[in-house]
Amino acid sequence: MNEIELTQVKVEGRLSRPSTPSRTRTDRTARRAFFVITLLPILLILIITIALFVRAMPILSAYSLTDLLFGEVWRPNNGQFGFRPFILGTLWVTAVGVFLAVPPCLLASIYLAEYAHARTRAIAKPILDLLAAIPPVVYGVWGLLAIVPFVDDVLAPLSERWLGSTIPIFSVTQPTGFGILAGGIVLAVMISPLIISVIFEVFATVPNDLRYASLGLGTTQWQTIRTVVLPQVTPGIIAAIVLGASRALGETIAVLMVVGNVPKTPTSVFDTAYPLPALIANNYGEMMSIPLYDAALLGAALVLLVVILIFNILSTLVLQRFLRRK
Amino acid sequence: MRKQTLIWLSVFLVLAVALSACGNATPAEPAAPASDASAPAEEKLSGTISVSGAFALYPMMTVWADEFSKIHPDVQFDVQGGGAGKGMTDTIAGAVDIGMISRAIKPEEESQGIFWVSVTKDAVFPIISSENPYAEQVLAKGISQEVFAGIYITGEITTWGQVIGDPSDTTPINIFTRSDASGAAEQWAKFGGGAAQEDLLGIGVNGEPSMVDTIIKDPLGIGYGNLNSIFDLSGGGLVPGIVIPPIDINEDGQANPDEIYTVKEDAFGAVANGTYPSPPARFENLATLDKPEGLELAFITWILTDGQQYLEEAGFVPLTPEQQAESLAKLK
Amino acid sequence: MSIKKKHFERRHLVEFLMKTIMRIALVIVAGALGLILWTIITRGLPSLSWSMVTQIPKGGYYMGKEGGILNAIIGSAYLASGGTLLAILLSLPIALYLKAYLGDSKWGDYVRLALDVLWGIPSIVYGAFGFALMIMLGMRASLLAGIIALALVTLPIMTRAMDEVIRRMPVDLEHAALALGSTKFEVAIQVVTRQMLPGIITGILLAFGRGIGDAASVLFTAGYTDRIPTSLMNPTASLPLAVFFQLGSPYPEVRERGYAAALILTIIVLIVSLGSRLLASRLNKYTVK
Repeated sequence: MNEIELTQVKVEGRLSRPSTPSRTRTDRTARRAFFVITLLPILLILIITIALFVRAMPILSAYSLTDLLFGEVWRPNNGQFGFRPFILGTLWVTAVGVFLAVPPCLLASIYLAEYAHARTRAIAKPILDLLAAIPPVVYGVWGLLAIVPFVDDVLAPLSERWLGSTIPIFSVTQPTGFGILAGGIVLAVMISPLIISVIFEVFATVPNDLRYASLGLGTTQWQTIRTVVLPQVTPGIIAAIVLGASRALGETIAVLMVVGNVPKTPTSVFDTAYPLPALIANNYGEMMSIPLYDAALLGAALVLLVVILIFNILSTLVLQRFLRRK
Repeated sequence: MRKQTLIWLSVFLVLAVALSACGNATPAEPAAPASDASAPAEEKLSGTISVSGAFALYPMMTVWADEFSKIHPDVQFDVQGGGAGKGMTDTIAGAVDIGMISRAIKPEEESQGIFWVSVTKDAVFPIISSENPYAEQVLAKGISQEVFAGIYITGEITTWGQVIGDPSDTTPINIFTRSDASGAAEQWAKFGGGAAQEDLLGIGVNGEPSMVDTIIKDPLGIGYGNLNSIFDLSGGGLVPGIVIPPIDINEDGQANPDEIYTVKEDAFGAVANGTYPSPPARFENLATLDKPEGLELAFITWILTDGQQYLEEAGFVPLTPEQQAESLAKLK
Repeated sequence: MSIKKKHFERRHLVEFLMKTIMRIALVIVAGALGLILWTIITRGLPSLSWSMVTQIPKGGYYMGKEGGILNAIIGSAYLASGGTLLAILLSLPIALYLKAYLGDSKWGDYVRLALDVLWGIPSIVYGAFGFALMIMLGMRASLLAGIIALALVTLPIMTRAMDEVIRRMPVDLEHAALALGSTKFEVAIQVVTRQMLPGIITGILLAFGRGIGDAASVLFTAGYTDRIPTSLMNPTASLPLAVFFQLGSPYPEVRERGYAAALILTIIVLIVSLGSRLLASRLNKYTVK
């Protein structure tokens, strides 16, 4: 059939097809358009980093990097921009969150991956999805209503009696329940679904033959996991933890509501702290009325971005290599 | 596939339109800049006024906006919080028409074209727990401005013994201040002789509700707060659990009746007639870029006259007739 | 050599212990969800009222008087819909392009890496970026600015979800269509999307749910107001910010209403989350297995 007849063929109930040349043209245009759009993710990362850097330039050129990163005093009205309390505050809260989250999550995901019935998994998955879907501000409200009083009424007195006097990290330094511990607990719950799901996927990459071989030799399941599976997946587990940490680093609202927001370098988990994201969120309104304040805050955002990018890229590369084995 | 996408897109759009239709939306008037408003005749005002600024004034501004819209139904308001700093920035940048500024306007801001008037007064009061073992003595003797300065600015006063005049008693004072940018903190700092909020000593608490809660729970604590956090506005008494240590204004070593505030009216009266020192009492101001005209002028004028009747209920002190006249004269 | 075996070997004990500990861990994590929902419901329900959901704030709302948060509910609906829509327009082409032309190539991996990295960027950074953009373009806080910021946040989520689903498509379908003479574009539009529709819908709803609840990105960009926005250039309230601001009020009644607002937000997110599951399973009827 020649081209004209092709054009006029009518398939049942549908419009006649366009000609082949026009379809090819559409294909080519679409291909180009989609290609451009696909460049967007890579471009976006670059644009965001550059934009923040440009806006932070004023303060980076006015003070040395050491002054900014290690300076202890934060008095923007006086022109003093010491980020150290905030950087340390961020690290403390993230560390507590990760420490609290990893052991239960690791155990839970090993159970889900190796032991659980399909039925258990079927129940666990929606629960984890729901935990992940809950908005951060709701986590903050929960933290405010349940965790801060818990720290104040239960954990602080316990620590005062048993731990605080001997171990400085656990000494109770201020009378409110707000602080790093409260923030860490909320963060731990927030990052759990992520850590569990990543570790679960990593365990799934281990071929069953290995397990069967070990079991066939008469080991218990735990022995198999411990000696055969775990060594294989260790990099993946570390990557999952790093991913969880990077998520915790950036969490703004939930932590903001329970961590106390006092710009002082922390010395104990019961101290209040002022993480970088909270600094940015709390003060965006004042940004433009004090000189260099906006550059400082956007510079804080830049620091946050760079650290998270590094964590993210490294852990994603490791995980991509793992998951490809499937 | 295209048809399916279209169906889903239209479902979204229909939902969005339907939701907005059943909402209590004000008449759909596109945002017209206030300065281009219609003729300044009393009756037919229309346009949109955008406001941003101090959280302290925010609830009051929404009341004013609501009441003003009842009289002039074609006027709409966009009111945001964000803090006094944001209000100032937005006003200078032209992003809003009126800024709510809970502090004095600085000369640099005036030189950028800012015009302002005071529209109400409110005040910051010191607070201690009603369970404070020294409460009785403090309520009898009062605390002088010097002692407050020693507690909050210089750090010379650290024990309750020093406060009541018994240096042998070394029970420590748990000093609390605000860690978030707060007009109340700035006023308190000025009262103590400092220059800005950062000069205040003490453990930082974030937000006024937390400050009040902390003081209620800590018998040895001292803090400060706004009128409407300290008094239960509907009942008129103090929020249970806290008392106001009288400021010994006349420095006679005793707490006189006009220095003691247990009900809202007492505190109000003291602030209004000037007995209560300023700082920590302060004027709340509204700022505009250049003198207001048209719709903004009408609104601010209304706030200074009829609008004042809504203040007391909200925990703000109405202007005295002289202060009112002063502000109105400024606007001419 | 003894043929007798101990019934009770140490490693069996260890196995039992580990299983128990792991079960407890799982219950703790799952129980956290119950705890959260319990707290939100018990503290939020008392202040929840019909007027909260159907009225905008009246004059004295922030001092405990009448009104509701309809402005925030509709504002969030607009923001999430707009942001999701904008994100779909970008993420569907990306996902299709990855499948059709990049497949498992090196470039495909770079793009996927970029997407994963974008996914990890916290929304406060997107908000700060959106704010910087706003200043540059001289925009005020508005619905449009909020939509753009949200689109940035939801783009990686949606693309990732779609990509995951599209990669699982049975190759046979694609080959069959190609064998019949379709162009790659036609395959993408007519075959892949139809087959992957449940997954695509799930991705969209996932992103929508995220968009409704995200505060950090709209904090700087969307502003806040008591009115329902009538144009893209109006500022708009949003549910997370409504919760946040009400919690900071000196008036206890307003704080209680903040809890109720948090409950409303949670209910909406739960509905979207469960709804997307149901929808996905119903739509699976139309795909080829």
